[in-house]
Amino acid sequence: MNRDGAPDPFTVFGIEHRLDLDERALERRYLQLSRDCHPDRNRGGGAADCAAVLARAAEINDSWRVLKDRWERARVLIELRAPGVLDDQKQLDPEFLAGALERAEMVANAESAELPALRQQLRADADAAWHGVRDAATAGDFATAARRLHESKYVRKAMADLEARAEAIA
Amino acid sequence: MTAPTNRLVVGIDLGTTNSLAAIRAGRGARVLRDRDGEALIPSVVCFLPDGSALVGRAAKALRLQYPDRTVFSVKRLIGRAGTEVDAESRLLPYRVVRGERDLARIRIGDAAGGHRDWSPEQVSALVLRKVRDTAAQALGQPVDAAVITVPAWFDDSQRQATRDAAQLAGIECLRIVNEPTAASLAYGIDGSKDGTVLVYDLGGGTFDVSILRIEQGVFRVLATAGDTHLGGDDFDHLLGERILAAAGSASGDPHVMQAVRAAAEGLKIQLSQQDRATLRLELRGSGATEFAVTRAEFEAMIAPMIERTLDCCRRAMRDCGLEPTDIDDVVLVGGSTRIPLVRRRLAELAGRTPHTGVDPDLAVALGAAIQADVLAGNDKSLLLLDVIPLSLGIETFGGAMQKLILRNSTIPTSATEEFSTAVDGQTAVVLNVYQGERELVRDCRALGSFTLGGLPSLPAGLPRIAVTFLVDADGVLRVTAVEQRTGMESSIRIVPSFGLSRDDVRRMMLESIEHAHEDVAAREAIDLRNKAQAMVAGTRKALQLASLPPDQTFAVQKSARALEKLLAGAADAAALRAATDELGRLTATIADDVISAAVQRALSDEQRGGGLA
Repeated sequence: MNRDGAPDPFTVFGIEHRLDLDERALERRYLQLSRDCHPDRNRGGGAADCAAVLARAAEINDSWRVLKDRWERARVLIELRAPGVLDDQKQLDPEFLAGALERAEMVANAESAELPALRQQLRADADAAWHGVRDAATAGDFATAARRLHESKYVRKAMADLEARAEAIA
Repeated sequence: MTAPTNRLVVGIDLGTTNSLAAIRAGRGARVLRDRDGEALIPSVVCFLPDGSALVGRAAKALRLQYPDRTVFSVKRLIGRAGTEVDAESRLLPYRVVRGERDLARIRIGDAAGGHRDWSPEQVSALVLRKVRDTAAQALGQPVDAAVITVPAWFDDSQRQATRDAAQLAGIECLRIVNEPTAASLAYGIDGSKDGTVLVYDLGGGTFDVSILRIEQGVFRVLATAGDTHLGGDDFDHLLGERILAAAGSASGDPHVMQAVRAAAEGLKIQLSQQDRATLRLELRGSGATEFAVTRAEFEAMIAPMIERTLDCCRRAMRDCGLEPTDIDDVVLVGGSTRIPLVRRRLAELAGRTPHTGVDPDLAVALGAAIQADVLAGNDKSLLLLDVIPLSLGIETFGGAMQKLILRNSTIPTSATEEFSTAVDGQTAVVLNVYQGERELVRDCRALGSFTLGGLPSLPAGLPRIAVTFLVDADGVLRVTAVEQRTGMESSIRIVPSFGLSRDDVRRMMLESIEHAHEDVAAREAIDLRNKAQAMVAGTRKALQLASLPPDQTFAVQKSARALEKLLAGAADAAALRAATDELGRLTATIADDVISAAVQRALSDEQRGGGLA
């Protein structure tokens, strides 16, 4: 996480370092950890106890923020397993970039009637990108996983732009 | 784990228009009513010319008789600068002035032709006191601690000001809880409502929306948004302007302003039930006026404001990545949600009829009571996970706002980022902490500032300064800065510097009409005794060390003995203070500064040990 030496979110949650995990089980784990460790359930200790409880609760919440977002989860895992690979793999395929540009223009010029279909298309694209990241990481190919993760940013950007466009039209 | 305390801790909804208390009862909670069976206490204080103050219904009843002495809607002023509330205060029949450090003050004339200024915190404290006393009466035993609710969208200054008001009222504030979060507890407490809910809270002065997920006793806020200056008061004001225009009356007269406000509120309430409302108003100087307004006209007036609330709902949904179809239920809170237009537009947005099972006037207090019971350690089945409503960050070069913790982060939370110096050889950095969403700090709220000194003299950019923000379950921020090479460290607990200073709170506790209040008096007496004891001990020690002329030694000894004698008995505070001051004067004027140095030392030791607030 942020500070050197602090445990990574997977460790904080006591779960395996992998991307293909059951998101529902992950959420249940978060609720259980919160029930066990939240300061409201552990009041009345001494100052040192309180500080430890507070630090642990903050760690759990901050880890959850990473783990619940599949892209953040992937970024942290890739960085943990192959430090530096995210920086090394920034060069993306020109063909991919041309496609991304085309998609961005479609979003920018989308009419009201086209929004639902486009939204559905982008969601499918995002899911496909996710499977690319997840499968590469699961196979231990972190260079490919890093590239796929960089590529996914273009889809995610397009999704955000589409919602902005929808609002502008409305 | 927390042990049950069996303390009586109530929940208090400190509202713009009305306030009330509730207590945990069985699986739910119940509101506490006065002898007449009323739960809602108008958040109104009337400062009578004789110097006394009435609170609640008695005060509200006097608003036409004492239009410029009857203070209401003070929640819209609390924790805010005079400049921020200028537009607001022009609409109020009582006088709002800018006090020191530009803080808003309420100016009330006195019988002698002078005036006295009150802080919004003091006025809120009077309301809180009334709520507490009503609760104590209903319960048949004293109440000294509470969970108090505030709008989710309140910033740190407004929250701290509310804490200060509680302190002035002699109430230990266990937690400040966000109003919509509290309301969700009242809604979901029966355990059958697991799912995602949108709480729409439109009160007298503020609007909040929170989206929560309720699951097996964990109430988790996913996102919150709002507007601290949007509520029923604004609707009343719009109607009031129409009335004034129809009556051809000037707006500056406090009597006319109170009368019009009261009339407008009445019309608004009628329009929630019927399509047309009429009013016959006799205003000073302009005779009787007939005024009629239809629901359609009223809805046209307030529609832009209702749309603003819906924008907040959309933003909250976007912030947590949800669509209207993901919302399982919509919960209405606040008196203004009785307005049919509000219900209609919200139903259209959410695609479902809002839930009306909780009383919109009571839900917040009931939820606060449930959280109070949880914090008292009595209920282990519930847990509230709330968020911070506004981002927190520090000022970086050029006045930019660098956010470390983003809004809607679940608390407790922490974040660390590394910074460096901007100038070669810089040996100290000043960290200015801000709250807000804007990109430049000048558009955000300053929360506090501190310095990390002792940096190695290095070229700009080389020192590595790790800045850590830690927000606890109360939403209180602590900032720590550490230079990584030297380990130099500096930190502050942010108590917003904006509102009342700690000294202000203390002074107000002493000087206010709460002077006789037992809690404060008891605390003061303890402080005074500690100080006197430390002074006697310090003086004795100093006399052994110093070589004073015999007459001075005698005078000091005599004074110290007198004080000691008072301490041995049950002396009243005034006598103790006089004797302490006397000894202080003697030791201070003595030529040999050994004595005063020793006394000072003894005193500062005592203060450290005592851990003064």
